[in-house]
Amino acid sequence: MPQAFSMKGIVKVYSDGTVALRGVDFSAEEGEIHGLLGENGAGKTTLMNILFGRIRMTRGETFVRGKRAIIKSPHDAMALGIGMVHQHFMLIPAFTALDNVILGLETAKKGVMIDRKTAREKLEALIKSSGLAVDLDARVEDLPVGIQQRLEILKLMYRGADIIVLDEPTSVLTPVEVDELFSFLRSLKAQGKTVVFISHKLREVMAITDRVTVLRKGQLVRTVKTAETTQGALAQMMVGRDVVFTLTKKPSTPGEVVLSVRDLKVRDVTGRQTVKGVSFDVRGGEIFGIAGVEGNGQTQLVEALTGLTKVQSGTVLLGGVEVQNRPPHVLYAQGLAHVPEDRHRRGLILEFSMLENSVLGLQMREPFSGRFGVLDPEEMEKWTQKIISDFSVDVSSTSSPASSLSGGNQQKVICGREMLKNPRIVVASQPTRGLDVAATEYIRSLLLKMRDEGKGVLLVSADLDEVTMLSDRMAIMYEGQFVDIVDPSKVSERDLGLMFGGIKREAPA
Amino acid sequence: MTQQEAEAAKAVAKPSWIPWNSVAESGLAIIMGFLVGGGIIALAGFNPALFYRGLIEGAFGSPRALMDTISYMTPIMLTGLSFAIAARANLFNIGSEGQMYMGVLAAASIGAFVALPEGLHQMVILFVSFLLGGFIAALAGWLKIKRGVHEVVSTIMLNWIGFYLLTYLAIFVLFDPLRAYKTTTILPSATVPFVTSGTSLSYAVVIAIVVCIVCYFLLWRTTLGYNIRAVGLNPTSSEYGGIKVSRTMVTAMFISGGVAALAGALEIMGRFWYVDTEASYVRNLGFDGIAVALVGRNHPLGIIISSFFFAMLKTGGQAVQIYTSEAGRTGIPLEMSLAIQGVIIVFASIPSIIALVKKFTEGRKK
Repeated sequence: MPQAFSMKGIVKVYSDGTVALRGVDFSAEEGEIHGLLGENGAGKTTLMNILFGRIRMTRGETFVRGKRAIIKSPHDAMALGIGMVHQHFMLIPAFTALDNVILGLETAKKGVMIDRKTAREKLEALIKSSGLAVDLDARVEDLPVGIQQRLEILKLMYRGADIIVLDEPTSVLTPVEVDELFSFLRSLKAQGKTVVFISHKLREVMAITDRVTVLRKGQLVRTVKTAETTQGALAQMMVGRDVVFTLTKKPSTPGEVVLSVRDLKVRDVTGRQTVKGVSFDVRGGEIFGIAGVEGNGQTQLVEALTGLTKVQSGTVLLGGVEVQNRPPHVLYAQGLAHVPEDRHRRGLILEFSMLENSVLGLQMREPFSGRFGVLDPEEMEKWTQKIISDFSVDVSSTSSPASSLSGGNQQKVICGREMLKNPRIVVASQPTRGLDVAATEYIRSLLLKMRDEGKGVLLVSADLDEVTMLSDRMAIMYEGQFVDIVDPSKVSERDLGLMFGGIKREAPA
Repeated sequence: MTQQEAEAAKAVAKPSWIPWNSVAESGLAIIMGFLVGGGIIALAGFNPALFYRGLIEGAFGSPRALMDTISYMTPIMLTGLSFAIAARANLFNIGSEGQMYMGVLAAASIGAFVALPEGLHQMVILFVSFLLGGFIAALAGWLKIKRGVHEVVSTIMLNWIGFYLLTYLAIFVLFDPLRAYKTTTILPSATVPFVTSGTSLSYAVVIAIVVCIVCYFLLWRTTLGYNIRAVGLNPTSSEYGGIKVSRTMVTAMFISGGVAALAGALEIMGRFWYVDTEASYVRNLGFDGIAVALVGRNHPLGIIISSFFFAMLKTGGQAVQIYTSEAGRTGIPLEMSLAIQGVIIVFASIPSIIALVKKFTEGRKK
């Protein structure tokens, strides 16, 4: 097979001195699905952004179809038939699907009016041949994420791309949508197009790719044929050491109920009811997991339980005390710890030092706040050092800002702070999002440790493997309600898939 | 265990609460301002060296000049601090002007018409000033959190309310029956004494510096300061951290307004002893504070230095014309020196402006 493109000796040094790529060679053949695998920060996205002209490389060469190519902008890349679907979609929410596709390529009728008719005909033919069904007249903001992704791909094909880069395409999809995406990628391959599939999910890379290139810390580890490798071997290449994949999990010994939720209803900021009557109990010494595709009310549920948003109706008992609609500091005093979904929006103040972040939520309490509300820097320092040593945070100084820490270390600071509070219950929302394999393992083992110490853990995650692996009981949330509460060790993948789509499995006879 | 403790002890280095990077940036920007200003002077056909010599001599050349310079620091230090405290909570309080008038009002009324023993008299005036200034600033904060009125709009309006309230009361209530262009002179027990006779320098500057240090302590070493800065940087994380965001904003505005009012009160108590009925003695001191805070990087200690810098430009700039004139020739005109002041201030503000732009663009990236 001829090469679709190749990149040689790519070096990227950012202006702040960060070296993202240290001389990487990468190439893909025509008609293959090539996986680009690596932990967060390995340089996958940077490498592809260079190919796509979004980032300028410091050194190196790019060849497209055998010819040296100088790609200075996404426009140049598109002209060479290279298209990229970014993790965050580049769509205009208020425009229709059709208008989004033709944006930038509008052909004018009589010099004034946009010629939508010709574009629509062309696009409908494309939809027919590719099987990517999209309602062209729907506004993008009304479309589900999976369809928006389709639209992004359609947009690239409309522009004649035959090298298609997908950056973590499955992170926003339901299992069913992932299957659809994969079958579509296979049909692209059959048409002779080249697909680069960026991911850090081993299972998906094994399932869909022909070859895999593994990056680690800005360097090429190896390119291998997928058929000739195993998940374990790839994982080892990614992290440079053996990874324990199955955490050892002791049987749980549930104690008394620490969190009790009854018929909880919550509206989101727009007034739409997103949690429509949810009831459950979490006991001390167990992990209660909530799985489901994101956007089915999990965020509002967590915010309501942690005092960050108002409850419309229903009751929340924390350690036996009614706490619905009480502010966060009251809940913290009742023994709540919260590892929030969004580290940067909720969990940390990035400009604050590590020292100051270590007491966020505790700053008004003894011993950090003494007489007349004067902070005690020595107590703060002691506490911070405890977080650093107990949770092996890699930080140069406690006075360096939280923004200088890596994502994994930021999350360790939050987990450390919350878990050292000695809470009754930990509400952990997407605790391992965006973390590398090692940090993910570590945070998961912490949650298990909390459970074994007799704390209640409420785990909300979009990562199904995470929830099934860690939880003692799990609920599947769909459109604001629990489809069912099941034992994760006794439920089949197929049933889970159905429940993710809102269909409850048949009750066993 | 002991080893661990030793390591921990080693790491208990005092956290650097002074942002040295900002100090270096601002210093460099000021030097650049002087260089560019010098270039402009040369282009206009004057001698830059002579100009700067005149500036320095005018500001520090004699004990009297130096004392005038230091004296002028007092009000702009406090109005600068006022702006900075609100800015730390991400509030744009440009109402320091009106809040300062509240202090003038308190000093001119209580100072002249209430007889109290010395010591207590001054304290009562400062206390009431702080409350009045804090009140009208908190009003703007309250309008923001309750009604969504942007504080820039409300504080500008309150500036005018403050101005007309002061001049109305000055003309109809507080006026001096013998000389109606001014208010009644305050009682000696209400004054802040001069350092030496024959200058305008009173111990008010000491009070201002103490207020700066107290606010520094407040912002970085107390729970309230922690909360104010947290709300300014990240309101959603603050909410998560159990901080009452709205209440903290109003509190920050209250302190900001109170500090601005101290500026006005101390000008009357330590310098003029009365105010003219058009308030022209104190006009614009509040707005000057915005520039002082920008150059001082919204840091209480930076503001002490930056207010000194502004005071130097002001007193020195006024003297340049006299210092540079020789027999039979007039010196570099005052207008030139005002223009150069402008250039230097623009340059000195660049780091703050870059920081603002950065914050804005980073906010959009997320």
